[in-house]
Amino acid sequence: MDKVIIVRYCEIHLKGNNRGFFERIFVENMERALKGIKHEIRKQSGRYVIEGFESEQASYITDKVKNVFGVHTLSAAYKVSTSLDNIFEAVIKLAPVSGTFKIDTHRADKTFNMNSMQINAEIGGRLLEYNNNLRVDVHSPQAVIGIDLRENGTSLVFGNLINGVGGMPVGTAGKGMLLISGGIDSPVAGYMMAKRGMRIECIHFHSYPYTNMQAKEKVEELASVLAKYSCGTVLNVVKVTHIQEEIHKKCNGDFMVTILRRFMFRIAERLAKKCGSQCLITGESLGQVASQTIEGMTSSGSVVSKLPILRPLCGFDKNEIIERSRAMGAYEISIKPYEDCCTVFLPRHPVIHPKMRDVLEEEAKLDIEALISEALNSLEVIKI
Amino acid sequence: MIYLDNAATTKPDIRCLNLAEQYLIENYYNPSALYAEGYNLHKQLVKTRSDILNLIANDWDYQLVFTSCGTEADNQALFCGGKRGNVVTTAGEHSAVFNCASEFKERGIEVRVAPLNDDGKVNIQSLLGMIDDRTSLVSVIHVNNETGAINDVNGIAQAVKAINSRALFHSDGVQAFGKIPFKMSADVDLYSVSAHKINGVKGCGALIKRKNLIIKPLICGGGQENGLRSGTENVFAIKAFEYAAKSKYENIQLNYKFAQTLNAAMREKLDGQFFDIISPADASPYILSVAAKGVRGEIILHEVNDKGLIIGTGSACSSNDKKRYSRVILACGIDEERADGVLRISFSAENTVEEVEEAANILNETVKMRKEIME
Repeated sequence: MDKVIIVRYCEIHLKGNNRGFFERIFVENMERALKGIKHEIRKQSGRYVIEGFESEQASYITDKVKNVFGVHTLSAAYKVSTSLDNIFEAVIKLAPVSGTFKIDTHRADKTFNMNSMQINAEIGGRLLEYNNNLRVDVHSPQAVIGIDLRENGTSLVFGNLINGVGGMPVGTAGKGMLLISGGIDSPVAGYMMAKRGMRIECIHFHSYPYTNMQAKEKVEELASVLAKYSCGTVLNVVKVTHIQEEIHKKCNGDFMVTILRRFMFRIAERLAKKCGSQCLITGESLGQVASQTIEGMTSSGSVVSKLPILRPLCGFDKNEIIERSRAMGAYEISIKPYEDCCTVFLPRHPVIHPKMRDVLEEEAKLDIEALISEALNSLEVIKI
Repeated sequence: MIYLDNAATTKPDIRCLNLAEQYLIENYYNPSALYAEGYNLHKQLVKTRSDILNLIANDWDYQLVFTSCGTEADNQALFCGGKRGNVVTTAGEHSAVFNCASEFKERGIEVRVAPLNDDGKVNIQSLLGMIDDRTSLVSVIHVNNETGAINDVNGIAQAVKAINSRALFHSDGVQAFGKIPFKMSADVDLYSVSAHKINGVKGCGALIKRKNLIIKPLICGGGQENGLRSGTENVFAIKAFEYAAKSKYENIQLNYKFAQTLNAAMREKLDGQFFDIISPADASPYILSVAAKGVRGEIILHEVNDKGLIIGTGSACSSNDKKRYSRVILACGIDEERADGVLRISFSAENTVEEVEEAANILNETVKMRKEIME
């Protein structure tokens, strides 16, 4: 009797001729998550079975695989050669000590001399005899034990289903450049796009010496959390201190954030093109702060000439974003109190509804090209 | 690199490390073991304990318990001393004491915090006014780690005992031990020290306690340190601590004078246009707290770091205002604007006057430039 893990996938089964492409990448991503652990992944009509691992690794493998996008559910299971005695032996191992249960059999092997209902009754009956504390409840059982009789003479016996993270395999939907800060929103935005299969590259802006190394480390930590889901990422770190100083010196201070964001978007687009990203991703949520009004988004978006800007959180409330941040494991890092963009230059009354004419007028006071290339020269690339 | 953050930690004295090396490599036995090698180590530790103790107290009345650091010594003193009624401490305590006091509140013990004078010392009148017959413990820092303000620990302890002779008196002596000439008077019950602040290694501290004072251990186990601090002794660090402490006390007067020279050089060279001096004139010469005018301390810390100077700061780039300003600096009556620019410059006998002058130049230049950009 071998311990195995059954992996069931989400939308991939809806795919037509290109299903093979999605499945190949899905397996690659699972292999990547299990790097360094002895195992084999086998395909079995519409699902995968992970086997060949040391039995004490089972829960570790389950934890790793359930966070691979594309996984719908998982089950820890026993693989036995098909016979009622072998199946029952596995059922005993998975059965609860008390309460209600149901046996749920699927018989792909039509040559077996009992049908599904008969197997349910036989195994259920044996289990009731074996343990007096158990009762059958076919409508709302506390535990369901699944039996899957395969055509190859083996059967899989499994207990409760473990939910995976869902979504599509990362690498099946292009690549995006995520503008990541040390806050709560942007890592969630990256997660949402990775969930739909997008590979993620990150860009972070810092203002050393106005901000510190801990702030940068915090972003690295956040990128690492994201990387667990997005099959790795690259964090590009760009220093924008001089840009902030120039805006402070030459422009109306109320436009600091508006103009700075335009610089960030310009730099992000240039870098995105260089590394093959097909869009920009931001954690903006409409109306959340002064710069995230529709006018603010128009102002920053208008400097991006070629790439689409994806804002997956645009319609979310803060609470909804926090909930997702907690679920992905980023929240506790995001709330560490390090500033990632200096407040020294922040205006008391930032413009909330910037008019393009005013923005352009203020921006004309700066040597935009020189400042962008200076910032890009400070680029530090961290592979995560 | 010019290192002027000696209140955070000091460079280990290589001579002490060389002397202690054998306890890492050859004499690695467990001092609690019964065979000769272990027992010999145990005997050596007994001697070491008494040698370090005799530097500031006497081994008739006091005993020394090795701990893993000054913070642990403080925790042991507070949690094992403050048991009932109320605990009195000061607004100038290191977090190792201050946060224990916060924990007392959680446990239902009243905590009374005495305010500081503008010079950073505790307001003795207020402190004494807080003590009553229900006070179980009083803790007053000897040398403040941010401003260098020195409290007259022996004098305060005597006054405390005159009001309530049963109240225990503890002092955090981490920034004083090996630096400030001082002997514990009989009124001080507990005193915490640390090795790495005097060129020893990290991971070693001690709590000095009155011998006849019965306290419960914070860490239970195999019964080391007379049952007061279980855990196999960090023999290497303890021996390095012994050598470092002896070396410091041999030269304590000389070092003190030299620190005064370094401190005076820094005070003189720092440009008054850009800096306010926070530390009082009679503070420990090893610590000088200054406030850069109009520039956040941490920004300067990073910039001077890039220019080859290491100093400490009393503020941090925190988005949480409560954590941004040092509570000790605010307790000295410094307003938030000045508290934002606080820097801590701390010396050791290994620094030179030239280094200090160079450091002052770097600081002046940096603040000047930053102010020009930011205004």
